[in-house]
Amino acid sequence: MNTRMKNLNKADKAEITAKEKETTTPLVKEPHEVPGDEPVTYPLQFPQHDSRLQTPAVGQRATRPDGRLHGLGQTQYIDDITFPHMIHAKILRSEHAYAKIISVDTSEAEAMPGVFATLTGKEIPTNTFGPTLQDQPVLADTIVRHRGDGVAAVAAVSEQVASDALAKIKVKYEVLEPVFDPLESYGDKAPRIHGGDTNVYASKIIKKGDVEKAFTEADHVFEQQFTTQMVEHVPLEPHASIASWDGNGRVSIWSSLGRITLGRQDIARTLDLPQSKIRLIGTIVGGNFGGKNEITNEPILALLSRKTGRPVKAVYTRGDEFVSSTIRHPFVMDYKTGVMNDGTLTARKIRLLLDGGAYCSWTGTTIGKGSILAPGPYNIPNIHVEAYAVYTNKTVTGAMRGFGAPQVCFAYESQMDTIAEKLGMDPLEIRLKNAFSDGSASPTSQRLQSVALKESLNQASERFGWQEPKA
Amino acid sequence: MLVELTVNGELKSADCPPETTLLKFLREHLMLTGAKLGCDVGDCGTCTVIVDGKSVNSCLMLAARAAGRDITTIEGLANAQQVHPIQEAFEELGSLQCGFCGPGMIMSAKNLLDKNPTASRPEIKDALSGNLCRCTGYTKIIEAIEDAGRVMSSTKPLHSNL
Repeated sequence: MNTRMKNLNKADKAEITAKEKETTTPLVKEPHEVPGDEPVTYPLQFPQHDSRLQTPAVGQRATRPDGRLHGLGQTQYIDDITFPHMIHAKILRSEHAYAKIISVDTSEAEAMPGVFATLTGKEIPTNTFGPTLQDQPVLADTIVRHRGDGVAAVAAVSEQVASDALAKIKVKYEVLEPVFDPLESYGDKAPRIHGGDTNVYASKIIKKGDVEKAFTEADHVFEQQFTTQMVEHVPLEPHASIASWDGNGRVSIWSSLGRITLGRQDIARTLDLPQSKIRLIGTIVGGNFGGKNEITNEPILALLSRKTGRPVKAVYTRGDEFVSSTIRHPFVMDYKTGVMNDGTLTARKIRLLLDGGAYCSWTGTTIGKGSILAPGPYNIPNIHVEAYAVYTNKTVTGAMRGFGAPQVCFAYESQMDTIAEKLGMDPLEIRLKNAFSDGSASPTSQRLQSVALKESLNQASERFGWQEPKA
Repeated sequence: MLVELTVNGELKSADCPPETTLLKFLREHLMLTGAKLGCDVGDCGTCTVIVDGKSVNSCLMLAARAAGRDITTIEGLANAQQVHPIQEAFEELGSLQCGFCGPGMIMSAKNLLDKNPTASRPEIKDALSGNLCRCTGYTKIIEAIEDAGRVMSSTKPLHSNL
């Protein structure tokens, strides 16, 4: 316990508790209707316990429970763990962004001294995985859809020998014409990266009111396009895992994975093994930021361990990390907004195009959250959002801090500034005029509670002197 | 090849392939896993150790080049009785989040404060220019180093109750 907590005597504690009770009770919530297509009655009934109203930790200074070990260098990340007889694996990445695999020949690599085993996509029981759509191969066996696709793996006595062995693997490709631009991929002429008749693999539409009518009635209409770029998480700890297949036919996997229950489900599927035979241990993670939310090479290591009877470790190089781990979705965002002379927003029509990269990963969550948040935290009576995610022959895009929220925030806040400038208004004033307050409805008609947006804006602008004349 | 060097005051030796970096030598041959492998190309600073009074990226130095030298790693800072003032300040201020950059940050800080315990903020930032943190905890890291310097030079810390 820290010093301030210790110094807080009993009388103070009693006083704080009494004060909190006074201000937080009674919690009277009147049922009310929410605007939108399907009225919902709130509140949903939950029992209120006294314990929920007492929060003695708030306002206290606390130290992190893991702070000391981090500072001492005693925290065990996955690469700090070793097992007797452990061997090391490396994965060969594709040479092309988009190509058919004609053949993979690992015989020369396998014959190298120090090499224990190799693995190709054909040897994986169910060679697909993914947290939403199972459209990604563990190791590509028929087609590579981006440069980061693995095509073969080697387990050897050391990382150095495994790397040398990768150079001996011969892969024959038939190169295909790739698509890199999401707008091109969305069009009719682009090659269909996953077959079918479209590259669109996820979409979302949100409608509220009548935007077209509101645009004709608005004093001003603003139309702009915004784009954002790819972003890699760059966790300081690269993706790493260790797999050990024991004599009882059970596999233990140590992984820097953030979602172990979901991961175990996916691993069970790819290995064709019941979940009860898989022990997945999530180790301390050296930075996740959304990039370690799905399995990567765990099934490969598990199979290499079964082949060799040894624990197998693999740590991504920084290069692997950039080409093969997931990244943030680049967005192409078309915003059309209707505004009255006094700065009131009346309508917003938005089209989002998500560059999904080669596979789905967490696009389902990203497109949902991105769409719902796209109009911004503003009371706009007429909204139309349509969002599409398309495949391209680029690095797989997945979860990253906010699932699409930062991209749309960049667009709607940029446009708010443009609108304020054109109308000759203060950028703060136009935001305060339209901002959500307690009880406002989200674009999907969720009645919002505990909204402190205006208060936050006012406080922040006061603190950094927004109203003071600018030099 | 046989490499012999002093680590945290102890004479150590191990047989390793000639391409072994000092980082791999410490981690895999001496089992000192405090220094981390983040990028392996000298960009991130998670592998920082002190060699003969200079902070170096141990991923860029061959173990053979370190032979005969005096190495200090994160494991050499604390003992069972006492943690180092820098480690104490990092803990007190919550400077580390995921913690992966921590050992490197602390070694860079130690190298600075050993020479200049009253280092200014620009000097601290300069000393950390080779250490990356992706949880973006730089503010608390700099404050902790400032406080640790004050403890080491026996003046009152600014940010914590040390």
